[in-house]
Amino acid sequence: MNMLRRLLIYMMVLTLAVSAVSCGGAPSGADSTQLPNAQQTQAQAPQNRLSDGEYPIQQATYDDVSGEYTVMVLNTKPGESSVYRAENLPMARLTDEDIAQGKKSALRVENGQPSLYLTEDFKIEYVHNVTENVTNPQTGQSETVIVRQESSFWTPFAGALAGQALGSLLFRPQYYFPPVYQPGIPLSGYGGYGRTYDQALTSYRSRYNTVPNEVRNRQNFRTTGRLRTPSGQTIGTNRNVNRSTGTGYGSNTLRRSNPSRPRTTNRSRGFGSSRSRGFSGRRR
Amino acid sequence: MGVLGDRFNRLSGKTRFVAARLFIHLAGNEVAPLLGVLNRAARDAIASDGNIQTLGEGLVEICQTLLQYDIYWQSAANEGDVFWDEGEAGDFVEELFTDSAQRYHSGVQLAEGEVDEFDTIPITQNLVLMLTFAYEGEVPQLETDLANLSSLKAGLKALINLHYQDRLRAIQVHFSPAQLGDELTSDQLLLNFPELVPL
Repeated sequence: MNMLRRLLIYMMVLTLAVSAVSCGGAPSGADSTQLPNAQQTQAQAPQNRLSDGEYPIQQATYDDVSGEYTVMVLNTKPGESSVYRAENLPMARLTDEDIAQGKKSALRVENGQPSLYLTEDFKIEYVHNVTENVTNPQTGQSETVIVRQESSFWTPFAGALAGQALGSLLFRPQYYFPPVYQPGIPLSGYGGYGRTYDQALTSYRSRYNTVPNEVRNRQNFRTTGRLRTPSGQTIGTNRNVNRSTGTGYGSNTLRRSNPSRPRTTNRSRGFGSSRSRGFSGRRR
Repeated sequence: MGVLGDRFNRLSGKTRFVAARLFIHLAGNEVAPLLGVLNRAARDAIASDGNIQTLGEGLVEICQTLLQYDIYWQSAANEGDVFWDEGEAGDFVEELFTDSAQRYHSGVQLAEGEVDEFDTIPITQNLVLMLTFAYEGEVPQLETDLANLSSLKAGLKALINLHYQDRLRAIQVHFSPAQLGDELTSDQLLLNFPELVPL
């Protein structure tokens, strides 16, 4: 009886602890959801590791082919590059108090997680790449090539009024996509925003019903078989007895994995008809 | 660890990715017309240069045709995995492409001489389809054993829905044989698709 009571007490303590942990974890999504992105930015970490701190910005460039930000920062520590590159960089507007204190646009690195803090009128140089579909005379396949680059400016926080409903969100680092590029017109505002990169992408997609260039360019299209070659010449007599003919094609818009990161080998769990997990094994 | 880890990841707001592959084997004299649907979807995909939206529409058409051909379904298999890291899911999808592609002969074939007996082109008795897809979130209909008739039907319908929900992040379609006139024999089937489970 005593034993049972003690067990009950332990169970209750454990339950309380677990529920406290999980309840504490859920609402603070702002911090925890940035975790995967923090890991992604480490992809560039080897070349541009910046130690924690605040670095004033000399110039920032956004390239719409890759979605890469190139930020030139000042006051870096010895041995650290003053050019910082990152594929997705959260941005926040400096609060009026900060500006009153004389703060300037800066790149802040907190716990290895970089974010841009910009003034309302900060202009990011926007590099637009004009592409064309050209048929490669050697292979006969059509390829997309960059013909020229156009330069414009993007002011992400122009015209945003502090104190609006969105206002409080502006001061916290979020992910932003630039609006659709129009030649000759400086870009202002955002095309999509969100607490995570994926939320920003969703918001962009619901607004323009398409995806940003940087996402489209990440798409990987593969084909096999004779899809690319003109058909109708041979109704082939299949000489390969082990395998029949076949055709395949596929598009992948998932981000590439991070080579600098060790691969976690323990996959959560598989499902399927063969039950025994693993894709490579042909277990029966 | 599995279930608990899942729950923890979900609580911490990570995105759940699922990458899976579905094999469907159809048998019968009347399966060859399906090749027309498949090749048309393939040509559309090429024409759009792999636009995921176009591939999704093609996938919907393929799934719908499959559902209409359900009496020819002979065997099926599926496999997949859940990921909490987008990069790992992307790698898995690429690995699946390579694995699917090595199950058939895709090189250029040289028709050497004797193209006689041209009047009778062989009609294939078997057709295998490999559908690979990756999506965000959770779809219980697709994350089970699909090697039985009712769950396969439910799975294909769920796959169609995924396209309209804009949740598909990767789509691959492989099929063997490639075109009308090519044959996939039962021996080749046994050799290259050992995981198929009769329905």
